[in-house]
Amino acid sequence: MKAARTAYPIRWRVMDALEAVAGILWPRFFRAGTPYLMLAPAILLVGLLVLGLWQMADASFRTLDTNTFLLSEDYSLANYKRAVTESLFITVAGRSLVGSIIVTVLTLVISFPYAYVMVRTPSATLRKFLLIALFLPFFIGQVVRAYGWLIILGNQGMVNEAFGLIGIAPMRLLYNYPAVLFGLVQYMMPFAVLMLAPALTAIPEEIEAAAGSLGADWVRTFRHVVLPMARPGFVGAGLVVLTLSLTDFAIPAMLGGGSQDFIANAIYDQFFRTSDQGLGATLALLLVAVGSLLVGLVFTLFGAGTLAMGRVKA
Amino acid sequence: MPDAANAATARDGRGEAPIAVSVRHVNMVYNGQHAVKDASFDLPKGNFLTILGPSGSGKTTLLRMIAGFGAPTSGNIVINGRAVGAVPPHRRSIGMVFQKLALFPHMTAAENVAFPLKMRRRDARTIPDKVERYLNLVRLGGLGDRRIHQLSGGQQQRVAIARALVFEPDLLLLDEPLAALDRKLREEMQLEFRRIQRELGVTTINVTHDQREALVVSDEIIVMDKGEIQQKAQPTETYRQPNNPFVANFIGVTNFLQGKALSFEAEGEVRFLHGDVVLRGRAGSAAASLGNGREVRGALRAEQIRIAAEEAALTGLDTVVSGEVEDAIFEGERVVYEISVPALDGAILRVFDHDVVGHTQFEAGRRVFLGWTVKDVLVFAG
Amino acid sequence: MNGPKFPLNDLTRRRLLQGAAALGGAAGLSTLGVSRAFAQEPEKPAELIVRAWGGSWVDSLKAGVSDPFTKATGIAIRHDLTEDNEIQPKVWAAVAQKRVPPIHINWDTTTNATKSALRGVTEDLSDLPNLKNTTDLSKPVGLDGYPIVNTYGYVYVLAYRPEAFPNGAPKSWKDLLDPKFKGRIALYNDGIGFHFPAQVAGGGKLEDIPGNMQPAWDFVAKMKEQSPLLGEDPDFTTWFQKGEIDAACTISTNAREARKAGLDIKWVVPEEGAKYDTDGLWIPKGLPENELYWAKQYIDFAISKDAQQVWLDGLGLPGVVPGLTPPADLVGDPSYPTTEEEFKHLIRISAKVQVENESEWFSKFKAIMQG
Repeated sequence: MKAARTAYPIRWRVMDALEAVAGILWPRFFRAGTPYLMLAPAILLVGLLVLGLWQMADASFRTLDTNTFLLSEDYSLANYKRAVTESLFITVAGRSLVGSIIVTVLTLVISFPYAYVMVRTPSATLRKFLLIALFLPFFIGQVVRAYGWLIILGNQGMVNEAFGLIGIAPMRLLYNYPAVLFGLVQYMMPFAVLMLAPALTAIPEEIEAAAGSLGADWVRTFRHVVLPMARPGFVGAGLVVLTLSLTDFAIPAMLGGGSQDFIANAIYDQFFRTSDQGLGATLALLLVAVGSLLVGLVFTLFGAGTLAMGRVKA
Repeated sequence: MPDAANAATARDGRGEAPIAVSVRHVNMVYNGQHAVKDASFDLPKGNFLTILGPSGSGKTTLLRMIAGFGAPTSGNIVINGRAVGAVPPHRRSIGMVFQKLALFPHMTAAENVAFPLKMRRRDARTIPDKVERYLNLVRLGGLGDRRIHQLSGGQQQRVAIARALVFEPDLLLLDEPLAALDRKLREEMQLEFRRIQRELGVTTINVTHDQREALVVSDEIIVMDKGEIQQKAQPTETYRQPNNPFVANFIGVTNFLQGKALSFEAEGEVRFLHGDVVLRGRAGSAAASLGNGREVRGALRAEQIRIAAEEAALTGLDTVVSGEVEDAIFEGERVVYEISVPALDGAILRVFDHDVVGHTQFEAGRRVFLGWTVKDVLVFAG
Repeated sequence: MNGPKFPLNDLTRRRLLQGAAALGGAAGLSTLGVSRAFAQEPEKPAELIVRAWGGSWVDSLKAGVSDPFTKATGIAIRHDLTEDNEIQPKVWAAVAQKRVPPIHINWDTTTNATKSALRGVTEDLSDLPNLKNTTDLSKPVGLDGYPIVNTYGYVYVLAYRPEAFPNGAPKSWKDLLDPKFKGRIALYNDGIGFHFPAQVAGGGKLEDIPGNMQPAWDFVAKMKEQSPLLGEDPDFTTWFQKGEIDAACTISTNAREARKAGLDIKWVVPEEGAKYDTDGLWIPKGLPENELYWAKQYIDFAISKDAQQVWLDGLGLPGVVPGLTPPADLVGDPSYPTTEEEFKHLIRISAKVQVENESEWFSKFKAIMQG
């Protein structure tokens, strides 16, 4: 008896005690509710978001009275009318949409080889290097990175100094649309690589070998096998990059020189510069709507990609 | 082994077949280690060769070099008279069935089978016919429209075979494609491989660690260990006349009787001493290595040992010893006994009794008698 | 008491009267007016939070106002560098929800502060004793009482690099339309400071503001062809330092900052004039009474001559107390107007008109620049 007791490890006894306590706090017949309990934080979060959206929706129907700087008591569609008719908002919305699509395409094109090499290289050193190079920017943050580009691409920056060495006069590389797109692509690349890598990992190397033995050179292997099989990764990465760049604030603000605003900058102006919370809310809601529409369109056309957590579209 | 090769072709009634694959002194060195060491063999056209070995024996490395995934460190591989040293896989005419099948999940079964034809730019008008013909060959007629994940494991195997064969390659390579299947399906597919291979007459190299599969499907078996070819022979010869203790041990269930060589008798009989017991067997190694006083091992297959309750039942056998049943394992078609033999210092011999229906099973602790003949023991040096 | 526009509850009113009495007594004894503790003085908070602009702006405030205040009263001052535009909705929300606001004192543009005053979130400051020593400038135009106290004025000058103007200083805003300045000019990203001179440069009249500003927009559109950089205060200093721009319409303080860094930067008030505006201090509603009392003491001290002299030396801007000594480098400078003659070239539009139309002007300017 005594031997048996000492053979019963202390850790097991601790676990028994914990289970007993858990049994009192959360009796067995509550068990069915456990999964819902786990969902509670998520529901709370979504609930708050919905609440916020509801308040924004309310504000979006009220106009600003510049005599008192209060929103009107009565509701109207004036803000929505302004949002879709004023050339400023149309220009900015068009710029954001076109820009985010260009950024998405470029980012995917550039990120794919990076992700591919990272996943496939037999060299552990190279893989580590690529991983570190990928995560480093995450620690640095968007604003500091944009600031880095200000230093590198400025009139007296490294690039222009290098041009100077070969006799090219300094030129303005910053504060224009390409500079904003460039900054966004650079900012989005780690996200895209991170979304692409699992999709590529999921393609067995054997499959590429098989394509080779069946007569496909690497171009055709890529085109007929890797690309279609990596589609979930492309969809996931594309969605993340598209939504992030569509709603980006800092890069257009910093690299655009003030004249390359995206929607988020216009929203900021309404909330913080002209104090027109109604119009700001309207623009924000329209952005949410357009973004959701785009995402929905992609889901319908291509499926949810890696965002569907491996569920295959039937 | 020219004799063995001739025997194989003679049996197939094809006469002197030309050589399809010739491997000459091939080495593959990874990080200073020989994954494959000085491998040489010829494979006649139309033959089914199995490379058998434990994991890490270099069999897959050898196969992948033949397929073109990785060039040998040194040595030559010639396929149909063409040295293929640096030719990439897609320029070789080799169909390969991979371990995990490597089917394209985003295509239907038919699209998978059509893939090599498209990649090899065959006349588009002939492709549908051909795909159908090969799907029928692997008995998947009518399932061409299925997606890969809608097919069973066995059906997926069949798609992989059809895909590897549809472009009529010079050579079919099988990289342990059956390893992951359950036994029944595996045995069924082994026979399928055999049937299809015979039907098409395609030269085939199969890699496996499953000795049964090797024995069932092959015209010839190469046994590999530690990167080196141990033996190349027909299945029956591999089983009956293993080259060395490794082959003897790897194929079948073999007991080893340790001893010191005593004398070399007529007709290749070797006598050797275990303690003060004299054992007899036939020479499995060169006579010189079995000289007086040398350490030797006699290989004795479990199914060659007769077991009986009474010594009298074993008269006529060359060697009879008594022992005690340590364990008896009923496996259905046979009983496997583990029997300790005092005369051999308590060594445990494994013995099969295949007459499960006719014989009573001996209980553990029971005293029994074991007997075998001289030719059942193959004596190797070391 | 000039009949405060915003009703105070009785308790607050009583407290205010007490505070004024205390100040009146203290002022005679000490230049700070707060150095002696009276029995009726409310309890001192451990610290007061003052929202301020960063860089040389907060440094000057600290040296001229905050540090001496702490020394005299023992109350620590924390400077909150949240953007003025971002603190505004936070204060508004706090007042609307009857919470204690996140700051005690807001250092704000008069235009922005006026918005808050119109919204009714500011405390009345009419009873500050030192107000009697200040010029008209301290009183916000078009508002009742003192919901804000203006503390200094500043000019949106035309700052330039003399190197880029070999023929001498620019005389007119139109000089910036020279094609060689394409991409080399900077304006505020909402056009602030530029609207009014643009109205004149575009051939319009200041009296037409806000009714007809088409001339201003025409001129802004011409300026758009020059692809100007658009930024905020610190951007101008940086851009001058990095050689990104040759000229800018900016508050002189930013240009002076670049000059302090050793750059050759000058500024002028062109013939069309330059916008003159003020900044001020105000206190949000909803503070506990003792904190309100001491926040008022802080502002009262900020408009004392001693405090103004040090604070505004740092900013290089003219204050609201007569008799301040201008910094040596700014004597006779157009950005430091002291005489009637100098003020004649400056454009001053009432805060109320600005507040009511600013939003529209901003979007108009943005629409042209973003197009």
